[in-house]
Amino acid sequence: MSARSFKISAIPRLVIIVALAGCGIALLAFGPRAGDEFPKDCVIVDYWEKWTGVEEAGMRQIVDDFNQTVGREKKIFVRYLSTSSIEQKTLVATAAGVPPDIAGLYNQDIPQFAAMNALEPLEALAAAHGITSAAYKKVFWDECHYDGRLYGLVSTAYDLALYFNTEIFQQRADSLRAKGLDPMRAPRTIAELDAYADALNQFDASGRLSSAGYLPLEPDWYLNYLCIFFGGRWWDEASHRFTFTDPRVVKAYTWVQSYSKRLGPQAVTEFRSGLGNFDSPQNAFLSGAVAMELQGTFLANFIHNQKPSMDGKWAAAPFPSDDPNLTDVTYCNADVLVIPRGAAHKAEAFEFIAFVNRQDKMEKLARSHCKISPLVKVSEAFLTDHPNTSIKVFDRLASSPNAHPSEPIPILPEVTAEMNNFVQQLALMQVTPEAGLRAMEIRLQKKYDDFIESQRARGAMKD
Amino acid sequence: MRQKFNAHKDARAFARGMMFLSPWLIGFFGFTLVPVLTSLYYSFCDYSLLQPPVFKGLANYRMLMADPVFWKVIWNTLFYAAMALPLAMVASLAVAMLLNAKVRAVSIYRTLVFLPSLVPTVASAMLWMWLFNAKLGLINNTLITLGVTNPPAWLGDANWAMPALVVMSIWGIGNTVVIYLAGLQDVPRELYEAAEIDGASPARKIWHVTLPCISPVIFFNLIMAIIGVLQIFAIPFIMTGGGPARSTYFFTMYLYDNAFSFLKMGYASAMAWVQLLIVLMLTGLAAWTGKHWVHYQGK
Repeated sequence: MSARSFKISAIPRLVIIVALAGCGIALLAFGPRAGDEFPKDCVIVDYWEKWTGVEEAGMRQIVDDFNQTVGREKKIFVRYLSTSSIEQKTLVATAAGVPPDIAGLYNQDIPQFAAMNALEPLEALAAAHGITSAAYKKVFWDECHYDGRLYGLVSTAYDLALYFNTEIFQQRADSLRAKGLDPMRAPRTIAELDAYADALNQFDASGRLSSAGYLPLEPDWYLNYLCIFFGGRWWDEASHRFTFTDPRVVKAYTWVQSYSKRLGPQAVTEFRSGLGNFDSPQNAFLSGAVAMELQGTFLANFIHNQKPSMDGKWAAAPFPSDDPNLTDVTYCNADVLVIPRGAAHKAEAFEFIAFVNRQDKMEKLARSHCKISPLVKVSEAFLTDHPNTSIKVFDRLASSPNAHPSEPIPILPEVTAEMNNFVQQLALMQVTPEAGLRAMEIRLQKKYDDFIESQRARGAMKD
Repeated sequence: MRQKFNAHKDARAFARGMMFLSPWLIGFFGFTLVPVLTSLYYSFCDYSLLQPPVFKGLANYRMLMADPVFWKVIWNTLFYAAMALPLAMVASLAVAMLLNAKVRAVSIYRTLVFLPSLVPTVASAMLWMWLFNAKLGLINNTLITLGVTNPPAWLGDANWAMPALVVMSIWGIGNTVVIYLAGLQDVPRELYEAAEIDGASPARKIWHVTLPCISPVIFFNLIMAIIGVLQIFAIPFIMTGGGPARSTYFFTMYLYDNAFSFLKMGYASAMAWVQLLIVLMLTGLAAWTGKHWVHYQGK
């Protein structure tokens, strides 16, 4: 290329570069920018949350309430960002030193995150706002702690009860009565639950299970905690030992396996594969494929949204227990608001967390999510206007001394992975409960001990 | 003086070349080489991402050797590779040969074979989940119509979930077929004519002409397939989550869980390096055997 031809071809190139640069500068100077919609004199609090759809809308209302009241007064503006895989994104952002000011995690995340120093302790901020254990149902206050320290406060909470389809109970009343069972109420003991399940099972002409009275595997979300209905726990917090071989835990999983033994593992697998997604009218409980199900407070919302014709044709009762003297047993779970380590605006972030934990705001949010209130004090209006018509049952269960939290174990994801595998083996009759639980106890105890040893070696944990 | 001018010109040319290369160089060093070397260091550390790494020597590698889940995922991955790889290689070559035939509307058939490769992974997974559905799935309903009284529960059955994933792997052979097709169209016609004059049957023509001529293409596809099957992740992650009872839990899934669920980045890094070694060994083995069966034209 000659010098002249280079110069000629360079001119249009130069024009394009100058034009693009000009556009860029103009965009920077006059274009839209993040933060334009936010008040300029406010501290911006970034809040990452996992919810989408109706649940997101419910929390956005609370955020708007805050921004228009306390936020305006104290010059704080909460910027809500709905994000998927919240744990992983919070984790990576915290590790990178740019975490959000507030993250909406699950209560089970607290032990793992706190043990690795990823969360800010909140006792001082809570005390400054007058927030104490007295205001909370014990189980939820406990779930916000790890190793004696407070790391989060609840945003929404739920507990579990037995949902039963009253229409199916009436349709098959004769079968129930034939076995001496009352079609007007839910079973109260595990033995009764099995009897109801057998009476309600239906098979097609080829002998295949077409609808089930009850299946422990449907849904398979809470199998890790079924032992509480047998009076058992698989973790001893005092000794920091796994207790999977506790006879009551063994009994619970023997019971889980008894359904595969009675109906056949292949039949159960085949039946479950025909069930639809949870958030659809083909949901096992909504479609009538199962007549009874262990599920959380929020199921009422899904029934109403996906199958309004079923409204009024179900009820909830405490899940049966193995021992008639063991009453009002439930497992409680919560979404929590935490302040990740290194957050830029801790005090302002806690203003919002405290706002969410006001009784009126908590009840407004709980109602929109169809969940219970984690607070001790519950208004009468909350109980009467709640979208879950059995809310009083759920509220009573959460206040019960037999309400159980998630186990506060920093290696909980590994425990969950092991237990899921164990339950699948159990359902497929690949392992006996005793052998599977014993093997799991040894494996997980080793993992836990290794974790604690490594944390101690770092000086990150008390002796 | 002239020498100095040339040196100056060379330096400017070098600088200009480097400037044009810089996006790739920055990307390679910043996003590939440095992370790769860092992961090698982390593989010798106890590292959770949230706390500073603590050097532990070979502890992660020793723990891997004693981890039953590690050996389970190694077995699953190699078992899947041993079933899916030959099947996909043979099926894609057979389909490519059919599509290489001079028949009417061949371009439509070629498009149809390639189409599944364009379907997003998640959509494919959802589609196959329904096909494999034990109660409502097309496969089992067809089997029942054909008189099979007790068809398998496929993804719900620990014995059948792996074969189901292997069958599904055939779905995505479109890319490989296209590469084979290009290779087949490069085979010189004269060789077929010479073979015909010698009285070779169609099978002998394939064995003595087609396969040797496209052996570099087969070799390329083999190497790519080895790397691909050993990294299987998205399909089982969506379709089975590794179950039932870890029957479809693969190496990369366990690595992912260790890194992002269990926060054991050091352990996951050690797994990644073991995976690299396995891939290197198998591709090295393929390259070594290739000396005996890959024929490059002009050699």
